[in-house]
Amino acid sequence: MPHALLIKFPGTNCDAETARALEAADFTTEIVPVARLEPEALDRAALVVFSGGFSYGDYVMSGRIARLVTRHKLGEQLQAFVNRGGHVLGICNGFQILTQLGLLPRGSLIHNTSGRFLCRWAPLRKNGDTSPFLKALPDQFELPVAHAEGRFVGESGDAEQYVKDGRAALLYGADINGSSAGIAGLQDATGRVFGLMPHPERFIARQTHYDPDWQEAERGWGYYFFKGVADALAV
Amino acid sequence: MQSAPSSAPRTERAVFRTIPVRDLDADRLLELSKQMKLSLSRADMEAVRDLFDAEGRDPTDVELEVIAQTWSEHCKHRIFNARIRHTLDGADEEVDSLFKTYVRSVTEKIMAEKPDFVLGAFVDNAGFVKLDADKAVCLKVETHNHPSAIEPYAGANTGLGGVIRDILGAGKGAKPVASLDVFCFGPPDTRQEDLRAKDVIHPLGILRGVVRGVRDYGNRMGIPTVNGAIQFDESFIYNPLVFCGTAGIIPIQDIAKEVKPGHLLIAAGGRTGKDGLKGATFSSAELTTDSHEEDQTAVQIGNPIEEKKAADFVLAARAAGLIEFVTDCGAGGFSSAAGEMLSEVGGDVWLENVPLKEPGLESWQVFISESQERMVLAVEEKHLPQLQELADTWQTEIFTLAKADGSKRLKVWHHGEAVCDLPVEKLHGAPRRELRAHWRQTVARNPKVAMRPESWTQVLKTLLADFAIVSREPIIREYDHEVQGNTVLKPLAGASGDAPQDGSVIRVDGSDQLVALACALLPEWGKNDPHAMGRACVDECVRQLVAMGANPRRIAILDNFCMGNPDNERELGALVECTKGMAQAALAYGAPFVSGKDSFYNYFITEDGPVSIPVTLLVSGFGIVEDARHVTGASLRRAGSKLCLLGRCTPGLRGSVFARHSQGAGLDGAPTWDEAESWAAYERYHELVKQGAVLAAHDVSEGGLAVALAEMGFSGKAGIKVELENVPADKECTPAEILFGETPGRLILEVPPEHVDSVVAAGAVVIGESTGERWLHLTHRGTTLVDSALADLKPLWQNGLTPYY
Repeated sequence: MPHALLIKFPGTNCDAETARALEAADFTTEIVPVARLEPEALDRAALVVFSGGFSYGDYVMSGRIARLVTRHKLGEQLQAFVNRGGHVLGICNGFQILTQLGLLPRGSLIHNTSGRFLCRWAPLRKNGDTSPFLKALPDQFELPVAHAEGRFVGESGDAEQYVKDGRAALLYGADINGSSAGIAGLQDATGRVFGLMPHPERFIARQTHYDPDWQEAERGWGYYFFKGVADALAV
Repeated sequence: MQSAPSSAPRTERAVFRTIPVRDLDADRLLELSKQMKLSLSRADMEAVRDLFDAEGRDPTDVELEVIAQTWSEHCKHRIFNARIRHTLDGADEEVDSLFKTYVRSVTEKIMAEKPDFVLGAFVDNAGFVKLDADKAVCLKVETHNHPSAIEPYAGANTGLGGVIRDILGAGKGAKPVASLDVFCFGPPDTRQEDLRAKDVIHPLGILRGVVRGVRDYGNRMGIPTVNGAIQFDESFIYNPLVFCGTAGIIPIQDIAKEVKPGHLLIAAGGRTGKDGLKGATFSSAELTTDSHEEDQTAVQIGNPIEEKKAADFVLAARAAGLIEFVTDCGAGGFSSAAGEMLSEVGGDVWLENVPLKEPGLESWQVFISESQERMVLAVEEKHLPQLQELADTWQTEIFTLAKADGSKRLKVWHHGEAVCDLPVEKLHGAPRRELRAHWRQTVARNPKVAMRPESWTQVLKTLLADFAIVSREPIIREYDHEVQGNTVLKPLAGASGDAPQDGSVIRVDGSDQLVALACALLPEWGKNDPHAMGRACVDECVRQLVAMGANPRRIAILDNFCMGNPDNERELGALVECTKGMAQAALAYGAPFVSGKDSFYNYFITEDGPVSIPVTLLVSGFGIVEDARHVTGASLRRAGSKLCLLGRCTPGLRGSVFARHSQGAGLDGAPTWDEAESWAAYERYHELVKQGAVLAAHDVSEGGLAVALAEMGFSGKAGIKVELENVPADKECTPAEILFGETPGRLILEVPPEHVDSVVAAGAVVIGESTGERWLHLTHRGTTLVDSALADLKPLWQNGLTPYY
């Protein structure tokens, strides 16, 4: 079974359900509080996960303090982990942190155009079929979102370029937060680093869908998200 | 990353003074109480004087502040424990403690009938109910009214933060799994020039600040805010109500806790500052314009990440078996946390150990500051190294605050000087209050006001757009109601995830039992008939829980009261009547109270005199849903189903939303209903749920049957056709009462045709069907009363708050 390491900052709060979701998809998991994080921990892991929440409160730009702490703790080891074939996933606040860390295509996640926190379900569609995280999912599906700073912005033309070259692997099916080119998730050039604003860990069982009659799949879409990467790692 | 505790500022010396009281007469004592803002009465101050006469010395300021906090209404519920001489319609009666008579005795009776359900009530920070063989669920609801009136964001922020700590301090530390938030505000469209006092914040300012305060605490803590309610009424303009509640899960073996001599008391979490001084006594006095200027220090400042770290630490320490006792620092700060923990055994407290936010605090300030995010744990000294390691892991500060010793005295030291030394028994023995109350129940007036509007459809549209009924969606979307991934029945659901539900249902990790949460409050009913309000609130809460699939025999409730001036005999009389009604319904339903709270002095001195809130009861409850297949939403699921009604419509529109829109109609009587009949119906309903005979169910409440039907249709999956002559109703009921009456005890069921026989056998009546057209069509003996596309109704309901929030 592949092993997942979940890094937990003060204010990270989706770690438990993310670990539960990973276990449902046949990962072994380990939640590491950042105070106890050592670079050696990466050697045990096939997947490093930055879960959702509000690291350090996100009072300054989201993910900013977590970036500084991660750099301080891991230095270049996280990049080295990716270089030697490791996978990294950032969900919601984790996506913001990975963007801050520069592990994902350049850009920022800023306040939704509404200026508000937004908790709802969002229609999503895959852009291309290169991401192992999306491998087991259909072209269109939906997941819950819950964020105040989920609008992706890049320098002029960047967002469109990411859509064109497939790095913007996940797009919103509707404009929910003003994200440039509808970007909901990004991957790096290798496809092994992936960040997304929606919360796949919240839709593992079919019954957590808002519609009790939902039956588009045997299990919730989030299950197939984690299963896809588990399968990719098992190969 | 760990900031060493030693880096925090600390006090350098004790700062306290001795205050002579032994030679003061009653008038001078009362003057002293006012001068020091102790909120202690004349009788209380005399008791203080007697206490120090017996000690043979005068008190320090620290001791007076400790007594004021401990004896405050906020901490000791002295009005609920008072002896009240009550007169109802001219007949005298004596109530020997509202709490004992109408709350605790109800629970004790039910506990005797239902052993092994309630695992703890009224002793700990929250009440516990058995979930499964090894887990319990607990719930606590608090109010934070006065802080929210003068600083809405911080007031609500710390209101939620405080109740989350109550759960962390329940048993040896419960895990918070869901929150609920209930507000009473002035109408959003109140005109600024109509505010009759300087510096009062407009209801919109209160609304926005409060919602954001809740949002920013709950979302950051990662606790889903899944349930709530908002009432808008002019009587809440000056004194809004903010209720915050949190539910938790704990292993049953970790519920019992005890402080023993030799235990160390360690504090964990945030540092101590001058914020939140005298919050407990502040909340036990009325608000005035001066409050907006002078009482700012009584409002605390929240820091949810500090609390998240403390929570991670407490839960890890409990899992490691290192906690003997834990409680939160709420009102009264260390003085009440340590005071409570040492209330049996006594012990020494060392204030010089307390890390501060800022230097220069006086002794009493360190001891009673209500700075947020602090927990106090009793632990064995040998576990200190392990606890320090956990604190470092979760990046929270801990320090030794006190040690229990069996002396039965609360001894507080500050740099070697004794600043407080009180016998615990006397400290916790506040004098009993004696109060007067009266109530005269107005009789229903007849004849009825004739109601023949030009268009019933238009009336329905008006009600759907009323602030009492419109969708709370803009607010619900600001709360993360899905974090933790366990919210099965969401506050908004249906085909497009935006239709209203009766409450929420959450899964519990490691259990196949689920927890339903709901709440009910009907302040409008209480203005004329508080007894009926008490009954109706219990009914609505229980009914919502049953509707969602909870086993009716496994429901527990909480009572949270707010009222104006308890020294006003009529206002107190309304409270007494409300409490009686509530107790009557709780007994009939076998729904024990497991926790509760009361908030008094919710009135404001305006330019035109005092404005009190109406007596307001919030009943919040939780029920066990025994199988995920029992979870039932309130949204129609398909065309071709039968719509059935349980319960009966009786005449009377008093207190209804309809009455607020129709001159005079509200003067008619209030509806009548019988709890025994409702209870039997709920039990039969639950059997139907277990058989799979119910696709959806919705309670008939504010707005009546027509509004409830429309709400079921907002799922977007089907239309509705109902023949109102089939609605079970007393024969004198008018169309207005059938359409918009709010008789309690009623549920609308969506039933697949093949189950109709068993549903009818269970006492429900077929009133119509769901249709393929997205249309609401209500007829009465062949005459069309309501006829509208659901697409024309839904926006009125859905967008009603949008312009204001």
